Amino acid sequence: MEQAEIQDLIFAYSEKMKGKKKLKEKDIIKKIMADTNEDKAVVKTALREMINVGKLMYSYGGGASSVEIPSEEYLREKGMLK
Amino acid sequence: MALPERQTDIGPPKYDAYLPPVIKENYGKWKYHEVLTPGTMVHVAEGGDKIYTVRAASPRILSTESIREICDLSEKYCDGYLRFTTRNNIEFLVSDKGKIDPLLAELKERKYTVGGIGPRISNVIHTQGWVHCHSACTDASGIVKAMMDELYEYFTTKELPNKVRLAVACCVNMCGAVHCSDIAVVAVHRKAPTIDDANVGKMCEIPTTVGSCPTSAIRPNPKDKTVVINEEKCMYCGNCFTVCPPIDIHRPEDDGVAIVVGGKISSLRTDPKFSKLAIPFLFNEPPRWPKVVDAIKNILETYAKHARKHERVGEWIERIGWESFFKLTGIEFTYQHIDDFTFMRDTLRTSAAFKF
Amino acid sequence: MGKYETPMLDELEKGPWPSFVTELKKATKVSPMADDELGQLEKSFQTKRGYWKHGGIVGVLGYGGGVIGRYSSIPDEFPGVAHFHTVRINQTSGFFYTAEALRMICDIWDKYGSGLTNMHGSTGDLVLLGTTTENLEAIFAEYSSRGWDLGSSGSAMRTPSCCVGMGRCEWACIDTMDFTYHITQHFQDEMHRPAYPYKFKIKTAGCACDCVAAIARADLSIIGTWKDKIRIDQAEVKNYADKGMDIQGEIIDLCPTECMVYDGGEIKINDVECNRCMHCIAKMTKALRPGLDKGATILVGAKAPIVVGSLLSWVLIPFIKMDPPYEEITEKIEAIIEWWDDTAKPRERIGELIEVKGMRPLLEAADIPPVPQQVKEPRKDPFFFWAESDFDK
Repeated sequence: MEQAEIQDLIFAYSEKMKGKKKLKEKDIIKKIMADTNEDKAVVKTALREMINVGKLMYSYGGGASSVEIPSEEYLREKGMLK
Repeated sequence: MALPERQTDIGPPKYDAYLPPVIKENYGKWKYHEVLTPGTMVHVAEGGDKIYTVRAASPRILSTESIREICDLSEKYCDGYLRFTTRNNIEFLVSDKGKIDPLLAELKERKYTVGGIGPRISNVIHTQGWVHCHSACTDASGIVKAMMDELYEYFTTKELPNKVRLAVACCVNMCGAVHCSDIAVVAVHRKAPTIDDANVGKMCEIPTTVGSCPTSAIRPNPKDKTVVINEEKCMYCGNCFTVCPPIDIHRPEDDGVAIVVGGKISSLRTDPKFSKLAIPFLFNEPPRWPKVVDAIKNILETYAKHARKHERVGEWIERIGWESFFKLTGIEFTYQHIDDFTFMRDTLRTSAAFKF
Repeated sequence: MGKYETPMLDELEKGPWPSFVTELKKATKVSPMADDELGQLEKSFQTKRGYWKHGGIVGVLGYGGGVIGRYSSIPDEFPGVAHFHTVRINQTSGFFYTAEALRMICDIWDKYGSGLTNMHGSTGDLVLLGTTTENLEAIFAEYSSRGWDLGSSGSAMRTPSCCVGMGRCEWACIDTMDFTYHITQHFQDEMHRPAYPYKFKIKTAGCACDCVAAIARADLSIIGTWKDKIRIDQAEVKNYADKGMDIQGEIIDLCPTECMVYDGGEIKINDVECNRCMHCIAKMTKALRPGLDKGATILVGAKAPIVVGSLLSWVLIPFIKMDPPYEEITEKIEAIIEWWDDTAKPRERIGELIEVKGMRPLLEAADIPPVPQQVKEPRKDPFFFWAESDFDK
């Protein structure tokens, strides 16, 4: 599967779970591995690419970290949204 | 001005770039050390090379201005080499013996506090407190300053039976090693939190909030998308507040600190030990917390008077028995001292042999 | 006088111990943020409560840690600390610096932050206290381009830390500083991209004196030790006696295993009975030294009280060699963490997980045999599990 396709699935899953469950990186990787039969390393690389360019971001609350879709404020601050 | 290009995943610089030449040459080849004064020691290498250490206290919170001053001193006396200890002391690493006295003289002139080596109090491990933490229910730096002003001589000159490690934690999260200190202060709450129901639904994960409670005092209220706290079960740890901000545990007029004693981390003579409860509660009395300072001084001086040479606070108490500790210190024994948390069965007495 | 009146804090500038209030005031020359920090802190002293909100979501692009969001809950009153984030810089092994390096760190911090630091934070990082969200990328670019990376925070491998070790201590049985540098580099990805169930701390102490509190403060505690005999210099024993040391009372009688005798001339040690507690070595630094067959004991599980009580680390591997390139120890650490990472619930530390699952699954996962050194005593009640594999033996 193309990386872009995997990334679309990752994004769709993150969007679906938004406000329902704080997803850890591992939750996303497991889900997409199950849905696509892709290797862990492949899914992880696709996910990391998204984080590196601000499509997803690490979040933090109550002492624990998670992954979520960035807010507009975050993107503006990183100069990715004018 | 354009920023330099960022690098990721490089880690810290390698330590050897910051070692004085005498340390580089004798790395791993140290033979012995001697404490020369409460604030100076010498380490001697197999081949006879020596490195002298001059230790001074820091308040842990340091301004860049003070760091620059420390840098200037290190350049003047130790070729720019220095380190910090795990207990937030500054150590000047002097290769030239002749520079020790001039360094000490300048430190004195600049009002640095030199000491902390050997059988005395070293610097105090402490947390951020009101200076910089959301869950603080006391100010750590404030208590440390008040207490060390009073115990100053036990850092700079006076000897104790052994080292005494002090610590202050501004809540039970304990970002410092309070749970294994000789004498430590930990801030505590005494009343169950209040819940802003409307915001719990918006800001918190209900299962996480329920799961955060060590005594299972929290249950969900799905109808109103919030949680309910059983006040009889709550031990006021505040972990629910950590995971769910609309649960407010802070009650300035009811919060304060507990004092715990007898912990250690080294294996010398006896195994590492947890600190145990000495005083369950004292009110916050900024800016100088006089009752807290008095209580610590009382415990310290009772230990100094009664312990044998080389006994740590916990070893002394175990030898004489806790019943004697409460008698000698005059500290009142209360219901709060009898454990009713997870390890209760390990702490109740199962022998008729004890002291009155 | 500064921007605010601070009568209570001013009180803490009196007295001989170094004053943090003086440090806060010095920083006001660098940044007006420090003024508002002082003002807000004075208010905390007056009202006995803090005014900081829970950490928010801030960071540098691609990393999930190293910056801790901090916002005032009363920003209208103290606008200078509306944002007052913490930046963690990964400290050097053993906290060694040069004046040149520290000045560079100060110069950048004065440009972008409050001028306040912690030397150091509880986990070991060099902590920069107080900056705004828009400065974070610049701060990261400035430091990282000069060879200094961020430390860690959140559900990640936390910044490893160690005692001074072989740098300046004759008792160091392992090279704590080099190992800490190695393991920090090895776990860079796990440090900066929080993918673990919760935090994981590694601390390395050169001997059982444990100056870095590894046994109390690290999920994985590495403590240097030796297997052969304590080295004795009998001439120095005599020197201690000549200088008036009560060797019988201060050394022999305090030995927890009663493995030593002193005949008025020489010390003899029955090393088989010695538990390597370090008392005699620490008190007779010139006469006694650790043996030469050195390595480390690996322990797991320590943590502070939250959630169900504080823990000290438990012995997992009684003895392992710790020589570069550290292959065996690194593999063991990876196996231990993998088991925890695969098994733990969110926010569950490895010590808590072991309490739930028992020690056996971890021992099996990391291929560590059961040995008596792992327990104080065997279980007392006759309830125990059997696995199919036990019947094959």
